[in-house]
Amino acid sequence: MSFRRKLLAVFALTVFLSVVAVTWIVSAVTRRAFERSNEERTVALIAQFRREFNRRGEEVVRRVQAIAASDATTRMALALSHGAPDYGAYLTEGKTIADNQQLDFLEFVDSQGTIISSAQWPAKFGYKEISLPAAQPTPKEAFLRREDLPDGAALSLSAIREVNVGDKPLYVIGGRRIDKDFLATLELPAGMRAMFYQNFATEFSLQLLIDPSGTVQQPDRIAPLVERVQQQKEETIELIHWSSDAGDDETVHAIPLMGQDNQLLGILLVGNSRRPYVELRQRIRSAALLVGGGGILLAILLSGWVAARVTRPVEQLAAAAREVAAGNWNTQVEVSSSDELGELAESFNRMTHELLDQKERLVQTERVAAWRELARRLAHELKNPLFPLQLTVENLIRAREQTPEQFEEVLRESSSTLLAEISNLKTIISRFSEFSRMPQPQFQRVQLNEVVANVARLFQAQLRAPDRAAIDCQLQLAEPMEPIAADPELLHRAISNLVLNAMDAMPQGGTLQLRTRQQEDRAYVEISDTGTGLTPEECERLFTPYYTSKEHGTGLGLAIVQSVVSDHGGRISVQSQAGRGTTFVIELPRKSSN
Amino acid sequence: MTSANHNAVYNAPIPPMLIPPSRWLRAACPLLLAVLLLTTSAARATDWAGPEEQLAHKIAAVTGPGAVAFDVTNRSSLTKADSDDIRRGLLVQLAALGLRFVNAEQAAATIQVTLSEDLRNYIWVAEIHQGTNQPAVVMTSLPRPDAPIPMREPAGLTLRKTLLWAQPDRILDAAVLEGSPAHLVVLDPKQVALYRFQDSRWQPEQSLPITHVRPWPSDLRGRLVLRHDHLFDAYLPGVFCRSSATAPLALNCYPSDDPWPLGSDQFSLSAFFTPARNYFTGALAPGLGKQTTAPAFYSAALLPREKYTLGLFAAVDGQLHLLDGITDRAAGRLGWGSDIAGVKSNCGSGWQVLATRSGDGPNDAVRAYEFPDREPVAVSQPVDFAGSITALWAESAGGGAVAVSHNLETGRYEAFRLTITCGQ
Amino acid sequence: MRRFALPLLAASSLLLVVAASAATRPHYGGILRVALRAAPASLDPADPNQPGSLARSNISRLMFDTLVTLDNRGRLHPSVATSWEAEPGNQRWHVYLRRGLSFHDGSAVTSDAVAASLRAANPTWKIFPLGDAVVIECDAPDPNLPAELALSRNGIAKRDGKLLGTGPFAVADWQPGKKLTLTARDDYWGGRPFVDSIVIEMGKSFRDQMISLDLGKADLIEVAPEQAHRAAMENRSVQSSAPLELMALVFTRDRQSAEEGRLRQALVLSIDRAAMNTVLLQGGGEPAGGLLPNWMSGYAFLFTTDVNLPQARQVRGEVRQASPWTLGYDPADPVARVVAERVALNARDAGLSLQLSGSNSADLRLVRVPLVSLDPRVALASLATALGLPQPKFPGDSGDSLYAAETALLDSQRVIPLLHVRVAAGIGPTVRNWTASADGIWPLQDVWLSAEKP
Repeated sequence: MSFRRKLLAVFALTVFLSVVAVTWIVSAVTRRAFERSNEERTVALIAQFRREFNRRGEEVVRRVQAIAASDATTRMALALSHGAPDYGAYLTEGKTIADNQQLDFLEFVDSQGTIISSAQWPAKFGYKEISLPAAQPTPKEAFLRREDLPDGAALSLSAIREVNVGDKPLYVIGGRRIDKDFLATLELPAGMRAMFYQNFATEFSLQLLIDPSGTVQQPDRIAPLVERVQQQKEETIELIHWSSDAGDDETVHAIPLMGQDNQLLGILLVGNSRRPYVELRQRIRSAALLVGGGGILLAILLSGWVAARVTRPVEQLAAAAREVAAGNWNTQVEVSSSDELGELAESFNRMTHELLDQKERLVQTERVAAWRELARRLAHELKNPLFPLQLTVENLIRAREQTPEQFEEVLRESSSTLLAEISNLKTIISRFSEFSRMPQPQFQRVQLNEVVANVARLFQAQLRAPDRAAIDCQLQLAEPMEPIAADPELLHRAISNLVLNAMDAMPQGGTLQLRTRQQEDRAYVEISDTGTGLTPEECERLFTPYYTSKEHGTGLGLAIVQSVVSDHGGRISVQSQAGRGTTFVIELPRKSSN
Repeated sequence: MTSANHNAVYNAPIPPMLIPPSRWLRAACPLLLAVLLLTTSAARATDWAGPEEQLAHKIAAVTGPGAVAFDVTNRSSLTKADSDDIRRGLLVQLAALGLRFVNAEQAAATIQVTLSEDLRNYIWVAEIHQGTNQPAVVMTSLPRPDAPIPMREPAGLTLRKTLLWAQPDRILDAAVLEGSPAHLVVLDPKQVALYRFQDSRWQPEQSLPITHVRPWPSDLRGRLVLRHDHLFDAYLPGVFCRSSATAPLALNCYPSDDPWPLGSDQFSLSAFFTPARNYFTGALAPGLGKQTTAPAFYSAALLPREKYTLGLFAAVDGQLHLLDGITDRAAGRLGWGSDIAGVKSNCGSGWQVLATRSGDGPNDAVRAYEFPDREPVAVSQPVDFAGSITALWAESAGGGAVAVSHNLETGRYEAFRLTITCGQ
Repeated sequence: MRRFALPLLAASSLLLVVAASAATRPHYGGILRVALRAAPASLDPADPNQPGSLARSNISRLMFDTLVTLDNRGRLHPSVATSWEAEPGNQRWHVYLRRGLSFHDGSAVTSDAVAASLRAANPTWKIFPLGDAVVIECDAPDPNLPAELALSRNGIAKRDGKLLGTGPFAVADWQPGKKLTLTARDDYWGGRPFVDSIVIEMGKSFRDQMISLDLGKADLIEVAPEQAHRAAMENRSVQSSAPLELMALVFTRDRQSAEEGRLRQALVLSIDRAAMNTVLLQGGGEPAGGLLPNWMSGYAFLFTTDVNLPQARQVRGEVRQASPWTLGYDPADPVARVVAERVALNARDAGLSLQLSGSNSADLRLVRVPLVSLDPRVALASLATALGLPQPKFPGDSGDSLYAAETALLDSQRVIPLLHVRVAAGIGPTVRNWTASADGIWPLQDVWLSAEKP
């Protein structure tokens, strides 16, 4: 990853993390604020409900009081004390008075609990009112009461008054229905709603749950909450998921409403929609995403620009370094600033300059050294045959002088020696010549195994030569081997050189192993001996031209091998342990890079 | 007339529907009532023997002879005397069939007879309880007669009314022919009936059908005018009938728009009657003084004055109009009815106006008035009628008037002669 | 044998028994404004799709004369027919028609037209004209046929395109279910009615009708029976009929088992009819044990109307399982609702569960059926038809046979009579000559309008 990208990534990550952190913090704060506000609103609503409830209660009490004090009621009470009631005279009385007083429920009940007139259930005259509060004396305040109706029951905010005009008391029980209309009168802030569960059955019943519109959608969702309140009879809060949309979620406060005899008659359910919160959260997230995205984009642009400013000199330096690595030591970078990078560029320029100087000095030194080595080697090589030549000539001279008779013979013998040594000199010279004339490889499809086998076959006789200790040659050729692109002649020569080296390393005999193998797209030839091995220093210098560890070597053999292998795009390496032997590994590409 | 029609009673006494008039109880004609009651109870006593026997046989068929407890309950309009009669009759009949009457504890069967009635019949129902079984029910029925003619209150002291005739059919007018024997002519929608007074009662003598082509209008009216050259003329809407002069009488009816005479013979004033309605058009012939038209009116009374004749017209618009031959003055709404008639009494100013007036409830009353100064002054106590007045016509001779009332209790029409006597 | 042979004049005189109820002569003219609760969609007296009601009869009789009429005591009188006679066996009747009658369009009333009209109303009768007479052949002996001919559904109507009658009024304007305007016929054979026209506004609630009457916007209204007493106390002119509308509970199917029969019996025993009448109907009727009221049958007192709760509980206790019944009632009828509620309360006392239902598909229904005839046999047969009960059989013409027929209907346990309810009319101060009739029919042909209030 480039420095610029890293820089970009760091910038973007920083911006992103900042935005995420801010978003999270804002969300958390918002949620807390929202919940606090919800709670306050719920408390306010419940307070409003209670106020409304109390206000209604007072109103009911007032109206019932007015009815109890009315002439009609007095007449009824008087009539009752005179004998059995004439229900017919009062059949519509309850309804009429209730309508006048805007009460939903009104009953006149005699001292026996018998209904004289009922507004809500006119047909019930003469029957007993069973849902009267047991408390005596009759409660002064309004109270919740279950009102039986022909088609079910209703919840009533009732008041009761006793009329003591005649001998027996007459009870006036009036009330207003707690129903959707009552709920509708509550002034609810947006996002809140009130529902009401009329607790008329032990089991949860869908019909008993109402809201200002009449019926609640999906009432079953609220059933567990209602059932819990039914059991525990205490205020409970629950989050209701109406749908998969979190915006439909609602926090529902359930407040139990108890009747006169401490029975649970209704449950007020105040729902707080979480939609505003969810929408706010959504908005925060969207804003965060937008800000984050924009920030990241801006970060990319900005960091790109900054990175470009910062990294251009670095890149130039890198390019220059690459140039230097490629051998163009004369590379210079532009110094465009005076900061650390400018200093670095100057240092680089100084470095290349010095490197160039040092290189020239080194080349000169190496050239001198090479010449010295060549001179030493040539001197050495040439000194060896020259010394016998000198001896022979001196011998001839001495023979002529001392024993001229034997001179002829000595001349013959000396001539052959001279010729032999001259030939030796020629050989030395041809080798140097040959090294200088190494041909370029001619690639063709070559079966490596065949080349190795040919070499082994060629050397078979020498390995088994009687004049030396026997060397066991082992071939381990991998089958099958894909053909490779190579020059078989050169390859043959290289392997032959290595075999010769191995033979030279095993004057006492040993085992020569020739192995081939292929791995992926490369082919390997390994030539192992069990000779004396090489020291690490020897290994290091092994392929230097004119280096030899042998008594009589030109030091060109391995140089030639390396040259061939290199020309094939391959590598040669050596593994050796002193006293154990040496293994040369030639690694060749299966396909020529040329 | 068929017997069914003769017995017709409209607005039958279905108890919940009726508001019983208190005035009945103040009997008007005790003698007549007594006679009627005697005759009717005698008739019924004989009528009941058959049903008693029938029911007794039905009961005996269920119980067989033996000891029974027996009781009778009256749920009908029968009087207690009647129900006691029937009870006795049933006991006799049942005893004849072998039943003995014992207390309920000793009885093998309990017989509960209820005297009930439906619209047309008395229904006597016997419930026979034997043991714990469902009671057996047997019943018998007999036709229910019409209610008796109710009693009338005596007439007022100055204005007297005398019942001339009563019948189920509407009476349009009636006239008494003095003579020996006296005759009564009764005009109804389909005939003129002539009755002769004989054996202290009016006996039918002759019936003269009225022929007409067009259907009668609702609230049919008609007037009888006695004549000197022949017996009478009958005026009906669009129809005129003239009787022959000698007996046996014949009646010649033909479509006619001739004006009807107003008032008594001494006024030669006539007025045209709307053929398909119940009022006079207002066109007078020959006219009253210089006035030949009056507002459309139902009835008129003529009061002769020294120099002119004052015409009182009960107009269709509900007002009383006074025409003196020159001017037409509306006397306003006096609370009078539509029927008025002038009567010569020789009391007071000599002539009085009889005017109908709504009485208590559905009943009407007639009262006499005078016009001393063009304002009416009541000169008699009102005379009440047990129903509404459907006709009030001055007699041809002028000495009285004939009023027809529809008795709501009996459903019969009753024609009365109204006369004024001086003094209280 | 010609049983009845009344001359034409006798008939006309009967129709002219108009009593002016005050000293004022009847006024011709004026418009009588009537308000009705019912809103019939059709005026055809024989339309079987319209529910039978007194209001419908009232309207029908204004336009369509019947061959025969019944007076207040249920006696037959000629109308379009002047006489009638039965062939031996009472299965084939000859009805002789009045001559010279015409329909509202002036066309003559012929025996063909009468036969066609009767056929429409009575598909089972074989009817054919014979000269001036119509011959009616019933599918069974029918001694009550003349009384049946007096039913308003047998009003003579001409149905070729326009609906025409022979009655005292002709249709001037008809907005189905809303408003009917009738004009008096000058050439009506029974005498031109006094009022010029009658305007009937339909579909008005009792309350609206009362307001209209009080405001002088209506001259004739219906008064709910339970309101009649109070309305009269408040100085309104209210005319109540005899108790002639049956309020009853009708089971929609026959009892399926003896146990169900016992449950039905328990229901009968539990109902407190007296309280319903005195309280719910404010005395606007009378408890009914039988289908026909006592004033009509004379024996209805035999059917007990007393509540017997101990026995009801005992009978109920004989049945172990009782599934609840649904009790249907007309939700538009306030009295029906409260009576149904009371029935349910009473039933609850006996251990029976009745669930009220405003729909028609209920186990038992609370119905109100008018008595359409003053002839008890015809009335009972019509009741049976209206209640969906089998037609009663009258083996003879005695009271026993009527009693037996009615007892058989009651014993089927399909119907539980509750009350006989009066029908009341509120009459405006200008309406005169109102004569109450036993069958609640409005005598609009005879009334007239005074120019002034009393």
